[in-house]
Amino acid sequence: MRYAVGVDVGSTQTKAVLVDEKGQIVARSLIDTGAYLVRAAERSLEACLAEAGVSRNDVGYAVGTGYGRFKVAFGDDQVTEISCHAKGAWHLFPKTRTVIDIGGQDTKAIKVSDRGEVLDFAMNDKCAAGSGRFLTNSAEALGMDVAEIGAKSLEAKNPVRLSTVCTIFVETDILSYLASGKKTEDILSGVHGAIGSRTVALVRRVGAEPEITFTGGVARNIGMVRSVQEKLGLPVNVSPDSHYTGALGGAIFALERMTAGSQVLA
Amino acid sequence: MSPAAAPEIRYQGKVHELQKELMGRYYAELTDIAKGRSEKKNAHLLIAGNPVELVRAFDMVPVFPEVNVLQIAARKASLPLIQKAEELGYAVDNCAYVKADIGLWQSGYEAPYGTVPKADLLLCNYVGCNVYLNWFEHLAELTGAPAVNIDIPFIRSADGEPSREDIAYVVKQLEELIAQLERITGKSLDWKRLVRTVELSAHVGEMWSEIKSLTKLRPAPYDAYFDSVTMMAVLYCLRGTPEAETFFEVALADLKERAALKQGPLPEERFRVVIEGPPPWPFLRVFRDMFTRWGAVAVASTYSTVGGIWEFGFRHDPQHPLESIARHMLSQNLCNRSFLQRYDQMERYVNEWDADAVVIHSVKSCRLFSAGQGDMREYFVREKEVPTLLIESDLEDPRYFSQAQLRNRIDAFFEALTQRRITAAADLAAGGVA
Repeated sequence: MRYAVGVDVGSTQTKAVLVDEKGQIVARSLIDTGAYLVRAAERSLEACLAEAGVSRNDVGYAVGTGYGRFKVAFGDDQVTEISCHAKGAWHLFPKTRTVIDIGGQDTKAIKVSDRGEVLDFAMNDKCAAGSGRFLTNSAEALGMDVAEIGAKSLEAKNPVRLSTVCTIFVETDILSYLASGKKTEDILSGVHGAIGSRTVALVRRVGAEPEITFTGGVARNIGMVRSVQEKLGLPVNVSPDSHYTGALGGAIFALERMTAGSQVLA
Repeated sequence: MSPAAAPEIRYQGKVHELQKELMGRYYAELTDIAKGRSEKKNAHLLIAGNPVELVRAFDMVPVFPEVNVLQIAARKASLPLIQKAEELGYAVDNCAYVKADIGLWQSGYEAPYGTVPKADLLLCNYVGCNVYLNWFEHLAELTGAPAVNIDIPFIRSADGEPSREDIAYVVKQLEELIAQLERITGKSLDWKRLVRTVELSAHVGEMWSEIKSLTKLRPAPYDAYFDSVTMMAVLYCLRGTPEAETFFEVALADLKERAALKQGPLPEERFRVVIEGPPPWPFLRVFRDMFTRWGAVAVASTYSTVGGIWEFGFRHDPQHPLESIARHMLSQNLCNRSFLQRYDQMERYVNEWDADAVVIHSVKSCRLFSAGQGDMREYFVREKEVPTLLIESDLEDPRYFSQAQLRNRIDAFFEALTQRRITAAADLAAGGVA
């Protein structure tokens, strides 16, 4: 058996996914990226291979993706995470036509063909407003773990309206709401609502064609999923593997290259 | 999907060499004026829709603050100047060209390529950018130089043509300008010299238009964005002089020869793109490489029309010098045209120059020109089904340039185009619908 691997070196975390010749996920790994990208890629691959009990020699093709894609030293090729998220989402939900990906520092809306090809995409500009980091900073300002805030936000009775999606200024906004006696869940609802609105505006730029699949680490946050669904007025697919979608897309590209052999792009 | 490393071949032929020589001489002349070694008078002008022919007819030398500061940016020296202006109180998101020029003035107008003379006349031409109007007002206050503004009505007609009244209104102002130039130089206008200057401009326009049509060929013999800027320097700074005429004769012959030999700027032309918006001058090479590595060549660019659009037939008319200068100022520049006319111009490029895609480079410190580019992207994607990429940095301020993010978007865009080509080819081979 030969395997293909995708390694997604993101701004915050590095993910690796190993697939078999049928495209089934065999193993996945997740580590913090840290400052040494080459090592992060290496470690995530090692972790993934260890979980699968597969030797490195059995990996036929490796694709690097994410901001650190050129640091995946063992990679046979590099593909942007935009293409990889499209591919991964399409692999998980073949009827996907629109992908929403909220990552650590950027948010993307991708229009996808019935074959998982990117038809169009829109991203936030250079500023990280409305990205995953906004949630992390909000959680920190409230003294909470980022994993808790989504569910907490759903308890809101009187959601506040945040005046900013600025990842820096949100902290002062939160402090002033706390000072005026607002409840944590109401503030969190405002936080999720602010990102939801911004994300949906991005989605409308490429057209919100169903099915819509939500990928990236932030898709694990139930508050964000609800916020996006509510503002879109449409259901969204969320896979338990949402966090690994980019790496999975990379692995599927790797698998295609491995089996097609010669059909390498460009 | 990552392409091979950027090929090292770049077109750096006669055109680039001659340009360097001419621009070197131009800046040497400016330095002579600044240092009092030349008696010549000068006027500071803006690029879009200026009456440079009149300035040349008085044997004055035009100075273009935009060209001065973009060259400083290209030498990676703009940030300290921008920061000097910010210390004076200019806002962070204020036009970075303006800030760099104000910073340059504060530095005694000493630039890496020469010294810029203080203006004998600040000759503003209002073509839709009120920030530029304020720029020249500030220079007038700071330097004490006299300033005039020629008010250019915005083009309101659907066909992009100015009305007779518009032309008469601008001609009247040009007549007033002539009186002012006569006072500054102490000379009367030599009408024959003006006619000759306009003739030279007409000839240069003709040749430039022909050069632009060469990129309709496959492969395009030069990059209509990155190589056009080389020719634009001469087109703007030296138009109306015999030197510019000679330069364009050489450039046309050289590029025609390259076209005949089917030589392009890259070893292989894989994608033909239309680029909208000015380049990020502080990172020109890095930015170019982002396209080069995908085999993407610009076959047309709107930026190359910022100081005049000749490829659709406009020529200066020696029979009617003032009217044709007025017409040029009114309608033959990018900034004074409506968004629909900008769409139309780009659409013609896509169709007539046979492009695969549009790339919009939006300028963070110029909201005036960049506002609406999101709609522009949607117009081309949705209504014209032309793949269109919108990216953003700045033309002068290096702080707005994020290399990883720009490259990510550009890579993803060409990845998608590549993928779709492969799928289409596979469908065709399988006998399906491509």
